[in-house]
This record gives sequence, C-alpha cells and structure tokens, in this order.
Amino acid sequence: MNINFSEQELAFQKEVQTFFREELPEVVQEHINNGLAFNADVTVAYQKALYNKGWAGTNWPVEHGGTGWTSTQKYIFQTEMAKAKAPRQIPFGYSMVAPIIYTFGSEEQKQRFLPDILSSKTWWCQGYSEPNAGSDLAGLKTRAVRDGDHYVVNGTKTWTTLGHHADWIFCLVRTSEEDSKQKGISFLLIDMKSEGVSVKPIITLDGRREVNEVAFQDVKVPVDNLIGEEGKGWTYAKVLLTHERTNIAGVAVSKQRLEALYDLLNAPPEGCPDLKQNSVFMGRVLQVEMELKALEFTDLRVLSSVSTGSAPGPESSILKIKGTEIQQALDELYVEMAGIYALPFVPEQYDEAGFEPRIEPFFAPNAAPHYYNNRKVTIYGGSNEIQKNIIAKQVLGL
Amino acid sequence: MDFALNDIQQMLQDSADKFIHNKYDFETRQKHSKSELGYSEDNWQLFAELGWLALPFEEEFGGLDGNATDVMVLMTELGKGLLVEPYVSTVIMAGNAIQRCGTDEQKAELIGSIVGGELKLAFAATEAQAPADIKAITTTATGSGDSVKINGKKSVVLHAASADKLIVAARTDTDTIGLYIVDASAEGISAHHYPTNDGGRASDLTFKDVNATQLGDSNDVAAAIQAVLNDAVVAVSAEAVSLMDKMLNATVEYTKVRKQFDVPIAKFQVLQHNMVDMFMECEQARSMLYYAAITIGEGNAEAANKASQFLKWKVGQAARLVGQTAVQLHGGMGVTDELDVGHMFKRLTMINTLFGSMDYHLDSLVKQRQAA
Amino acid sequence: MKVLVTVKRVIDYNVKIRVKPDGSDVDLTNVKMAINPFCEIAVEEAVRLKEQGIASEIVVVSIGPANAQEQLRTALALGADRAILVESEANTESLNVAKLLAKVVEQEQPSLVIMGKQAIDSDNNQTGQMLAALCDMPQATFASEVRIADDKVTVTREIDGGLQTLAMPLPAVVTTDLRLNEPRFAKLPNIMKAKRKPLETLTPETLGVSLSAHTRLVSVAPPAQRSAGVKVASVEELVDKLKNEAKVI
Repeated sequence: MNINFSEQELAFQKEVQTFFREELPEVVQEHINNGLAFNADVTVAYQKALYNKGWAGTNWPVEHGGTGWTSTQKYIFQTEMAKAKAPRQIPFGYSMVAPIIYTFGSEEQKQRFLPDILSSKTWWCQGYSEPNAGSDLAGLKTRAVRDGDHYVVNGTKTWTTLGHHADWIFCLVRTSEEDSKQKGISFLLIDMKSEGVSVKPIITLDGRREVNEVAFQDVKVPVDNLIGEEGKGWTYAKVLLTHERTNIAGVAVSKQRLEALYDLLNAPPEGCPDLKQNSVFMGRVLQVEMELKALEFTDLRVLSSVSTGSAPGPESSILKIKGTEIQQALDELYVEMAGIYALPFVPEQYDEAGFEPRIEPFFAPNAAPHYYNNRKVTIYGGSNEIQKNIIAKQVLGL
Repeated sequence: MDFALNDIQQMLQDSADKFIHNKYDFETRQKHSKSELGYSEDNWQLFAELGWLALPFEEEFGGLDGNATDVMVLMTELGKGLLVEPYVSTVIMAGNAIQRCGTDEQKAELIGSIVGGELKLAFAATEAQAPADIKAITTTATGSGDSVKINGKKSVVLHAASADKLIVAARTDTDTIGLYIVDASAEGISAHHYPTNDGGRASDLTFKDVNATQLGDSNDVAAAIQAVLNDAVVAVSAEAVSLMDKMLNATVEYTKVRKQFDVPIAKFQVLQHNMVDMFMECEQARSMLYYAAITIGEGNAEAANKASQFLKWKVGQAARLVGQTAVQLHGGMGVTDELDVGHMFKRLTMINTLFGSMDYHLDSLVKQRQAA
Repeated sequence: MKVLVTVKRVIDYNVKIRVKPDGSDVDLTNVKMAINPFCEIAVEEAVRLKEQGIASEIVVVSIGPANAQEQLRTALALGADRAILVESEANTESLNVAKLLAKVVEQEQPSLVIMGKQAIDSDNNQTGQMLAALCDMPQATFASEVRIADDKVTVTREIDGGLQTLAMPLPAVVTTDLRLNEPRFAKLPNIMKAKRKPLETLTPETLGVSLSAHTRLVSVAPPAQRSAGVKVASVEELVDKLKNEAKVI
C-alpha cells in the first residue's frame, strides 16, 4: 500500500499547476480573484481555455478528442482545479450527454455533436426530472409521438439547471405506454431554439436563477436526434450513472473550502467572531476535517481499484452520500463563521468586480445563500435516501 | 498509488484468517478467556512458530521487518476472533518499545525471547488520570543504568499478570520520561489482577522502590513512547474495523431471517437505512485505518501523531454507531451473553477507552489547532 | 523422489457464492480466492513426505489464469520447492486439464502425483482419474492414509461403509480425501521465502496441447433460499416435528 505519485504523475501535477497559475484567461483569473458568483461568459471562457490546452474532455476517450488520462491524472487535475478555485466545467455536455453520444450514438451524431461540446461552442442542459417524476424518475410523462420523420414532444421538464443558457437539452421521453415504465422511455436530443420550447425561471432560496422549468408544446424533433434505439433510454441513462463517479464525492473542493475556513479562523476578518477560541465550533470543524480525510481515502481506494482495471468495490457507493453531507456541514460552518454578517442579502456585490458600497467581510453575506442553495446536493442526482435504498439492495442484498 | 495488499500480506492474511476460522471459534475463545491464564499458551507457541511474534521486529534481532501495514493486515484477521492472547501488549507495545529504545544487547536478548515465544511483556506507560498523555506521567524513576528505583502507580496495565517483565514509563530526576525494564516478580510490586469487560486481563500495579534497568541509553524517550502508542492505535483499530465488518454482516444476515409481521425485518426501510449507515461507517473507518497505517509507515512523527489521533476518533465514533445498531437490530438477542455480537460490542466499547477516547483526541486536536 | 502436486484456484470456501444476474456464471468480481481445500491437503501430504525424508522435491502445478500464481505462492509457502503455472483462461474443463497435466508429468517424470479428489467449485471429481488414464499410471482415489515404502505406495481409501487399502507400484496418482491430514498454517518466514522460489509459466501452446470444448456452461442458479429455523417448546414437539414435518424418524 502506498499513496505516492510516480515520476510521471508528479510531472503532470506540475504541468497542471502551471496551467492554473499562469495560463488562465485574464477574465477568468480576475473573476476568481474577485470572488464573484457564477457567470456564464466566464465559464465559457474557462472551458475554451481548457479546450485549447487539450484538457476539455477529461473523461473522454482519446479518439473523440479526450485526454485519455488515467484515473490518477484525473484526480490530480481535480485537486489542482479546486485549489485554484477555478470555475466548474458545466457537466451536462462534457460528462453527461457526451458519454451517451460516444457510447450509444450513431457515427453521424458523434460528428455532429461531440466537437461542439468539446470546444464549448454549445451549451447543454438536462431534461430528466418532471413536476411529478423526481425520485421515481421512470414515472415521467413527457411524450414523444412519432410522426413521419419527426417526433412531436409534449410535456414539462423541471429543475433544469442553467437551462436558460442552453442551446440543447437531452431528454428522457416516453415513446410507448405499452411496456413497463422503464421500457417505454427513449433518449432524445432537442434543440432549445425549436418552436414550442419555453423556459421559465425558478428562483431558488439564494434569490438566484439557477434552475428552470422547460415546457414542450408540440415540439417537432427530427428522428435523427434519437440516441440508439427507441425504448432503451432508461438503460442508457443508467449506464451513464455508473460511468463517471470518481469526482462525485467532491473531495478536492471540500478540502479547499476547509483550508479557506482555517485561514479565516486563524485571522478572522473584522466583523467576524473569533471562533478559533470556541472549542465547540472547533470541535465541529475538526470532525468535518476527519470525516473528509476518511472520505478522501475512500475516494482514493475507488480510484486505485479503477486504475488497476478491477471493478470498484462496494465503498464507491458511499461517495455521494458522504461527500454531500460534508459539503453541507461546511456550509453550516461558514454561516457561523460569517457571524452577524450572515444576515445582509446583497447578491449584487458578487456579480461585478468593484461593486460599491460593498459589505465586509466580503465572504460573509454569501455564506447563507450558499448554504441555502447547497441543500440541493443531498436532493439531486438521486436523493441520499434513494442512494441508501440502492446500497441496501445492491451492496447489502436486503 | 496502490491500496492492494502485496503477495506477502495476502498470504499472511490467508493464514491468519484460516487460524481464526479453524482454531478460534467463539466458544473456544470464551473458554480461553475464562481459563485461569485468560488465553491459550498453545496458541502463543503457535504464533511463535508461525512467525507472528517476529513480524514488526528488525531482521537483525530475529524479526521479519514488518511495517505498520503488515501489522494492520495481521490484526485485522486476528481481531475477527476477539483475540485474548497478549499480542498487542507483548509485541506491538513492549517489544516495539524495546526495538525503538533498547541497546543492542537488550534487543538481542529480549526481542529474541519474544520471537521465540519464551517471553511475555506488559507495557506500563500511561496512567489513569491521562490514559493517552505521556507528559502527565507521575510515576518516578530515580538513579540510572541498572540501579534505578521505580515508585508510583500504573493502572489497568493490560496482560500484566501473564507478563514475565514489565516495560515501565516513568519521570526521571531531570523531568524527562524514560522507559525501564522491571521483573514482573520484583520485590516492591503489589499487584491487583482482574478480568476486563471485553474478556481480557489487566492489573493495577503499585511500585515501591522497585529495582529496574533503564531501557536503552537515553532517559528522554517520550517521542518513542508516542510512536509505540501510535502503532498500538493502528493495531486495535484494525481489530475494531474487522469487528465492525463482522457485526454488519451478522446483522444483515439476522434481519434477513428474523420475521415479524410475517416478513423478514430486513424488508423494513428504516432498518435498511440503519444498516446502510453501519456500512458507511465501516468503510469510512477502514479508509481512515489505511490513511493512518500508510502515514505512520512513512515515519514523519508529526504526521504520524495526527494520523493516529484521526484514526482513534473515527474508530471510536464508527464503532459506537455500528455496535449500538447491531445490538439494537438483533433485538433481545443482542443483549444476551450467548450471542457473539454482544461480545464484539463489548470489545469495541473497550477499544474506545484504550489509548485515549474519541473525545480525548478531538479535544486534543482542537487545542493543537487553537495553539497553532 | 519427486512429487508433483496440483492446486486449483477456487472461490474461498468461506465466501457466500453470488451468481451473475443473467445466470451465465458465478460472479467473481471482488471475491476472495483460495487454494481448493482438497488441493491444500495434497500439498500438506507432499510436505509431510518431504519432512519424513521420502520426497526430495515437491513441484506444484496449477492450470488457470495468471493470478493463480497467488495460490502457487501459497503452496510454495507451505513447503513446495518450485511451481509451474500453465496459463489458460479458456476451456479448463477436466479433460483438458488432465491433458495439460499429462504433458507436465511427461516433462517432470514425478514418482508420485498427489491431487485433490475434486475442486469445490465444479465438484467434478474426475481430473485425477483422467490423468491416471492418460499417463497409464495406477491410481488410488479418496485417500485417507498414504504410506510409501520400497517403490510402492499403500493407500487407505474411504469407501462406503468402511476402508479399503490398495498397494500400487510407483509412479502413481493419489487423490486426497478430507481426512488425510489437517493442513498447516503458512509460516510467515516461509511466506517471505516463497517469493524467491522459482515459478515457471507455461501455456497450452508451449506444451503442445490444443484445447477444445467438450461441454458448454448453459446456466448457473443459486440454491433455493433456506427458511428460518424455529424454536420448539418441548421434546415432544421436536419429536412430532421430526416425525410428521421433516419425516426423518
């Protein structure tokens, strides 16, 4: 047993560090330095920079323009990315629809969609959940009825993250009522500019527009946009769920946030309580730190079994639950760290650099919105309760 | 990066697993535990023959040069049997201290006898008022070389009754902490031997002008004692992790056959989620065990101390949840003396009290952060 | 005298077997593997013969995937002197294994071949018999005692209702039963030494054996779930249940 990187891996780590230190576009670097909130243009600029470096398709096979990295390289990349506080690559194109297209799509579909995803020319969003199909996703009702060389789509998708920026949406739609719930589902790509698509904002607890409701009214979708076979959509989506789980725990980002919290504790900004002397609080911080250390090693165990070509052990199933629990615990700690300055609601000061007058300590008013917003992490991607059902069945055989 | 066991560890695991399976079923363990000696001398001789008593020692002195990971592998298997033999006391603690501090002559003599199965030792380091704090030791050692006198009290010294010699930590004339070799039958020792809650043996020892020999050339060995305790934490944590695995498996199997309301109780979602919580704690504790064993094996003292504190906290916390839930889900059977699950629960609970409890280590880590 | 011992890599006998969801085979993902227990008894018997000064060299051979090396190393740790792995993933049915072993026997010319009577995974109980036939050697199966004297091996066999003793000239094939011996635990120093003992890898091609399938695995199904036990209140109730429910008395 060892956790050391090889020579080549160390060299790779250096290269990644150099990239994040010296090669980020100015607009991205300034955005990071100013501690600003999500901005679509900045994210695209960052994604294009990755593309130019050849690093956009982290998980993609080389033949489609991916990096072909080993799981250890991916781990190194994610760690350095988190340390640099770089924006997140929007996952819907890169790691959700692309794997389905290159695994199950036709040659024509690969040519048509993959290059634009890789170069960040198109923005994708996900159309899975519906108002009445959440945890029981297979109960979805959006219908796609075949009419010549088109499908006619009717229905509503919801919780569509950043759908208002999207050029395309990948959807699970019902193409048959006859078979079992799962068997009637197909995987369809829909152009957001199609006639009959409407996007309505849903404002979340942080006061921001992150998610949307996307309605389809008699939307005509070419049959060419169907992935694979009709009725196989559920299977494809499930394969994707097990496709890329190495970063699901979010260990690197949580480690960075914990480090930053210790920085605040060691030198509390004016206006913050001196929580370092509060042993109860420090005890909670330490518990998060220890739980995170254990999770980091759980993540590494999975990584090491994947990199030696064997199937990940049962421990991989806990990454999502534990990872999100830690993320939320960190949010709680940040709200307390903000002290009384958790109260002001001033989202504007995170939207543009140099906004005046701004409230200090700068991080503090954002702590609570982040906390509110991040309640989503134990709900999305299969709620943690659903995750437990899955572990009970698949791992414990109950 | 690699978490797989190497060939040697794999075979060590297999042979220890086979030993527990063939020779150490629960009834046999209970018989040994309740015997006059409290363990089986035949087993001890078998351990010597199999080389287990030689595992962590330097080759020069008859050892096999094993590291923290090797010890972890062996203890994980032995832990499954709720081992009552004084392996941790003799090999992981006292023998380890001799290896770290002893002179070449002392190592040749004492380690050679441990490896051969002829010598058993107890490690009397920390004291009741501070079970993990070396700085708080009040027992005194006056004099030097082989004419040292020990005075004071050591509480709950594991396996002292079966030990031939004691390795005692004491405060010196110059206010440092040294280690001393004491004959278990030396004049001036009064001992109160008793069984422990987890089926083991321990003793309270009072020293009055007891003759002792200094272990090694230095009388300032607090760092070495800390390193010994770190190794001991890995050893008992490995044991704890395998006990937790066993309890989880036992609980899963039991709930599948136990029927109430005409269905196996494993069908109830609330119980399923309880068992998933157990499973997650088992995996997190195992991950922390790997982290600690690997870190301690790398030899940086500061990193090793932190890793052992992290591990002891995590194991304490996980063991409480896994142990209590296992008993709860076994219903009335869980609180009977008959079922092994209850005995595993007892052992897990006692492991938390050894070498500093979870709250002790959390508090200590907080204070270190606050002082930084 | 040279003794050849065969070992097979199988799922550890303590592991609860899982069947793949499609019923195509047993699921080997992340499953602990071990030496087939009967093979382990064969190794132990050979080591005892060596300790008695009867055997001079123990060669252990396995046919299977590359990681069957693990089981060969274990056999070396238990006391075998050198190992041969015939690397073959496909078509390892009994007859093919026997053919490969026959080639190894031809090369090694052992005086005695000791094998497990059967492997606990496929329960065939036929490779030893086939090997004896292919090599035209005498065989004694289900051995519970093996004695060697004057170029002769005397084997006590467990048969229905009693014991049978056979004497055979060497070379011969013996297959082991459960009660032949109790295998030792591998000693740690020997485990470490095992790493340095020679292990040679061969393939069916290098042995000049072409393997063809004579059987095809159609499906695998787990045994039916056992129902839970019940506690009885009295001896009378127990007797009644044994008589009327279980119908065993």
